[in-house]
Amino acid sequence: MYPLFYAIGLSLQYYRLGGFAGLHNFAFAFQDALLSDSLRATGVYIVLAMSIECLLGLVLAVAVQRTVKSALGRTLTYLLFIVPMVTPPVAAGVIFRLMYIPEYGIINVLLRDLGYHGRSVLWLSSPGMAMFSVVSVDVWQWMPFVFLVLFAGLAAVPADIIEAGEVDGAGGWARFRFLELPYLRPLLLLVLVFRFTDTLRVFDHVQVLTGGGPGASTEFLSLYLYRIAFKFSNLNYASALALYIVIIVSILFTIASRYLSEELV
Amino acid sequence: MTGDSQAAVHLLSVRVPRTLVRPHRRRSVLRGLVLTALGVLAAVYLFPFFWMISTSLKPTSELYVQPPALWPVRPTFDAYGAALVGAGDWVLLRNSVIVCLTTVVLALALALLIAYPLTRLGVTPRFRRGLLSWLLSLRFLPSMVVVIPIFATIRTVGLYDQLLALILIYTAFSLPFAVWMLKGFLQEVPQEVEEAALVDGAGRWRAFFQILLPMISPGLLAAGVITFALAWSEFLYALILTATPRSQTFSIAVWSFVTQFEIIWNQMAAMGVVSALVPIVLLLFARRYVISALTFGAVREKT
Repeated sequence: MYPLFYAIGLSLQYYRLGGFAGLHNFAFAFQDALLSDSLRATGVYIVLAMSIECLLGLVLAVAVQRTVKSALGRTLTYLLFIVPMVTPPVAAGVIFRLMYIPEYGIINVLLRDLGYHGRSVLWLSSPGMAMFSVVSVDVWQWMPFVFLVLFAGLAAVPADIIEAGEVDGAGGWARFRFLELPYLRPLLLLVLVFRFTDTLRVFDHVQVLTGGGPGASTEFLSLYLYRIAFKFSNLNYASALALYIVIIVSILFTIASRYLSEELV
Repeated sequence: MTGDSQAAVHLLSVRVPRTLVRPHRRRSVLRGLVLTALGVLAAVYLFPFFWMISTSLKPTSELYVQPPALWPVRPTFDAYGAALVGAGDWVLLRNSVIVCLTTVVLALALALLIAYPLTRLGVTPRFRRGLLSWLLSLRFLPSMVVVIPIFATIRTVGLYDQLLALILIYTAFSLPFAVWMLKGFLQEVPQEVEEAALVDGAGRWRAFFQILLPMISPGLLAAGVITFALAWSEFLYALILTATPRSQTFSIAVWSFVTQFEIIWNQMAAMGVVSALVPIVLLLFARRYVISALTFGAVREKT
């Protein structure tokens, strides 16, 4: 709790001058054009990363659950997907930095081999592509998380329910929609909450890949906050922004935990 | 079980053959598709690691060959030596090991202190629920929100650029998860086991150390490994609270290669390999608990 009060204290003071500033820092946020750019970038990132991860993860979980039945196959799948998740984000950044180098990066070489002979793609130094690249790393690292959680959820669906459904003639889609989805719903919510809070604070691999650039196209909230606080050392304004985030996240958490706590505790 | 249901399907298929036969053929097509997709995914997931390893083994002369070779002609560990010894990154590696090990010990001890009374002594369910969900909520607090007050506090108490600062913070951050995880393991040991020990004349301490602790040792091991891996991977606080190799951790070593004007790719890759290898190897041992850990025990897997 102490850090929170400390932040409130900081946020109510003027930058450099000190002294009581009232809500000056909080009000300034509304005129801050860089902040709105950063918010937009963060929004795009969250929506892209979350939707791709959840959709892919869900489809894959259902598909694997239905087709890969052998214990060995499942263990291998499990191992395959656990590796990216435990890779430190900084190392993941390094991995993709290596692959996305324009001249020597393996991705552009592969593109050339596949018959693409245009100008080499600047994966990290053109704004649209940088966003794509940064999102791709998030998907690469965390789609497995969605997959594994939902896969574990599917394994918990009682077998006799599925069998009863089959006897009643439920096809693949009906089986998913009416038998499995109800079991997955709390887990889907859980995954969404986890992925949302994690994408909101994404920092490590972005710092390694683009450092927020080019321009400010991948300068997400956490990177922006980092720049204000530690490059411009305006701790006061940064604290005000941080408090906004606390408020928003706690509202969301309160809503989500009403559903979650019954599942967890 | 499955035999019965197949029999049932056959019985029904006499009446409505089309709807039930087609899914079977479609299923084998689907199976092929999924297996192909999994194969592609395996490549997508394993190739990046292969590429990083391959780059890290390239001597500098082979780095800029066009087109880049999949595997170096003369693989060498030169890049590792140059980065660890030449650039002095072994100090940061050592720092990381010290920080992570101390964090593990502190976090586990404190987590036991919280989790034990929570599961063994008479605590009202309301208090228990409240404490546990409060701990859980800490997991969702974006770290950038507390980074500023923590930075300011650490500077005021004079811990800036010291390993102790990172140890304290990592311990605090891994505590909620460690409590949750140990709580789960403690709950699985029946209360009677301990009571039996008490009846046999052991004190609470002895019952705890000689009976309970060995029983939950797999849990301690798993929680310890995961705490280690999380502390190992941490980057933001290491970046903010340290300034010199005296206290920088290995994540910073990896990152600092990126910020140089001219990136030395093979050394950067080498440090990436070391950074990734440690948690991957550790967590393959504790693999059963990774998902539980990442979801605070909400999900238990069977593998």
